Amino acid sequence: MIRTEHLTKIYRMGGAEVYALHDVNLEIQDGEFVAIVGPSGSGKSTLLNMIGCLDKPTSGSVFIDGVDTAWLSDNELAEIRREKIGFVFQQYNLVHTLNALENVALPLFFAGMKREMRMEMAKEKLESVGLGDRLYHKPSELSGGQQQRVAIARALANDPEIIIGDEPTGNVDTTTGNAIMDMLEGLNKEGRTVIVVTHNIEIAARAGIRKRMRDGRVRD
Amino acid sequence: MRDKFLLAYRSIRERRTRSILTVLGIAVGIAAIVSLMSVGYGMEESITGELTTFADLISVVPGKISGATYVEQGSFTDRDVKDVQRISGVKDVLAMTYGATVVEYKEKKRPIMVFGGDTKELGSFYVEPVGLKEGRWLRENDYKACVIGNRVATDFFHKEIHVNDKLIINGEKFIVIGVFEKASTLYATDVDPHIFLTLRAAKGVLQTDEVKYIMVRVYDINEAAAIAEQIEETINDNHGLDEFASALTMGSMLEQIGTVFSILRGVLVSIAAIALVVASIGIMNTMLMSVMERTHEIGVMKAIGAKSRDVLSLFLLESSIVSLVGGVVGCVLGVILARIISIAASSALGIEFGAVIKPAVLIGGIAIAIAVGVLSGFYPARKASRMSPVEAVRYE
Ligand SMILES: Nc1ncnc2c1ncn2[C@@H]1O[C@H](COP(=O)(O)OP(=O)(O)O)[C@@H](O)[C@H]1O
Ligand SMILES: [Mg+2]
Repeated sequence: MIRTEHLTKIYRMGGAEVYALHDVNLEIQDGEFVAIVGPSGSGKSTLLNMIGCLDKPTSGSVFIDGVDTAWLSDNELAEIRREKIGFVFQQYNLVHTLNALENVALPLFFAGMKREMRMEMAKEKLESVGLGDRLYHKPSELSGGQQQRVAIARALANDPEIIIGDEPTGNVDTTTGNAIMDMLEGLNKEGRTVIVVTHNIEIAARAGIRKRMRDGRVRD
Repeated sequence: MRDKFLLAYRSIRERRTRSILTVLGIAVGIAAIVSLMSVGYGMEESITGELTTFADLISVVPGKISGATYVEQGSFTDRDVKDVQRISGVKDVLAMTYGATVVEYKEKKRPIMVFGGDTKELGSFYVEPVGLKEGRWLRENDYKACVIGNRVATDFFHKEIHVNDKLIINGEKFIVIGVFEKASTLYATDVDPHIFLTLRAAKGVLQTDEVKYIMVRVYDINEAAAIAEQIEETINDNHGLDEFASALTMGSMLEQIGTVFSILRGVLVSIAAIALVVASIGIMNTMLMSVMERTHEIGVMKAIGAKSRDVLSLFLLESSIVSLVGGVVGCVLGVILARIISIAASSALGIEFGAVIKPAVLIGGIAIAIAVGVLSGFYPARKASRMSPVEAVRYE
């Protein structure tokens, strides 16, 4: 379960204070599929970064499975990211010097898994997203949709409970976007919590729960 | 571990041109150290090697040597020579005299240093190692004959001098009976510009009865230092002075040469160290640029679970690989360079020597390279490791 309490993030731009998140209180149960919508600049990415332990709140807390992440060290946060959370970014964010297989195996490398096992698992994940024939392609040799599927395979590498996607379909055409949503839906059916930010109303409609954001606040 | 290498290698290859330049920067620094050290060792070994063959010799001069300066305080007497001969452990004593005097050949006059001594001893000291180009060496009764150094024969006068030519030394006619070969470094200053006579002839032309130089050969090299001290005491007593004579064993000369060379090496290495500092700035710069460029990639790695120390070790590994390669390339270049320098220096200085490649120098070179790599890679690596995972999602 994910829970935020008075979650607030303030950015200081020169003299001005920007409330990217303003006293956000929300609960996401295990196995839920949540779509977060809202205008640009409303704080969606900031919220995902907090939930995903990429960034620390200015005040308030994020509880993941009952643990207040505000009190964790950088190393412990890295561990949570590695074990519980899989990220899918809008820009795919693959390491461009590594091929598809190596990109998917990278989180397992940081988890300290042996090479053979790692490669075996990475291969499995790539096959599950339909890229079994693209194992040794570099990101630059793949289409946007294919890169995003590699990114999903990478997010799945550690078998995380939570999948977080910040506009994962923002950079691909509608057909590919739907395919990616199908994939995320499939992951949710497997029992994983899926949280996505999207601008696309159709995609948002497929999620079980929708949260609307505005000026750093969440309205259901 | 293997994968870390792979990862590091990939990003090094990604920035190929810059990596090659960085490798070259380190390689130049290491090559400078390795080659200069090797050439230095080569010179030292060739000179000390030659000197070691005279380890049983003690040179005695009538004056004080302090550092590189020599202050002559007079000359030896025949009694000094006889007393030295009587010291136990002394095998041979060669008394020599020398002085500059005017020498004339085919109407041209110029001052030349003339040496005289016991012909047998003088011969064993100079003729054996240097060799004669023409003619023969002096005998005890060759009062009107001389043997000349190579430069005297070829450089000093309009025409080259050969055996049977006549020289006028301080007004007296001498016949040239032998010409030395061009001498190696160690002997060049002793032999090439000089004229050698019998002791009696030298005393005659220099109009002196003074002995300016005594060469002593001992039976046991281990006693050389003690005998040298005794020689000094004996001669000082004769002259009623505390510090009149200086007796130098080859051992002490070798020590002095050793000191000179370690100072020389120190100077050379500090010059090379400057090259290394430049190289290390190069690595730091390359790594910093790499960190900047990869801000996003580092963020991604952290977002998918890399800890700070994973990132730190990855970047340190990168700079270590670059510097290790630089070190190895530097050693290879250094060895080649050392060979070239020693060949060039051999012909330029007339010293016969080859570079001496010591394993310790090569290992040291590589160790220094890695140390430079790790030290100058540390700051950028730490900077990288402290980056926040949010960098992965910034600038969308
Ligand atoms: N690193 C940052 N520095 C300063 N302001 C930021 C930063 N990141 C986000 N913001 C500001 O916080 C607000 C919320 O941003 P964001 O969460 O990215 O919105 P969204 O993802 O909904 O478009 C915006 O006003 C944005 O300008
Ligand atoms: Mg956003």
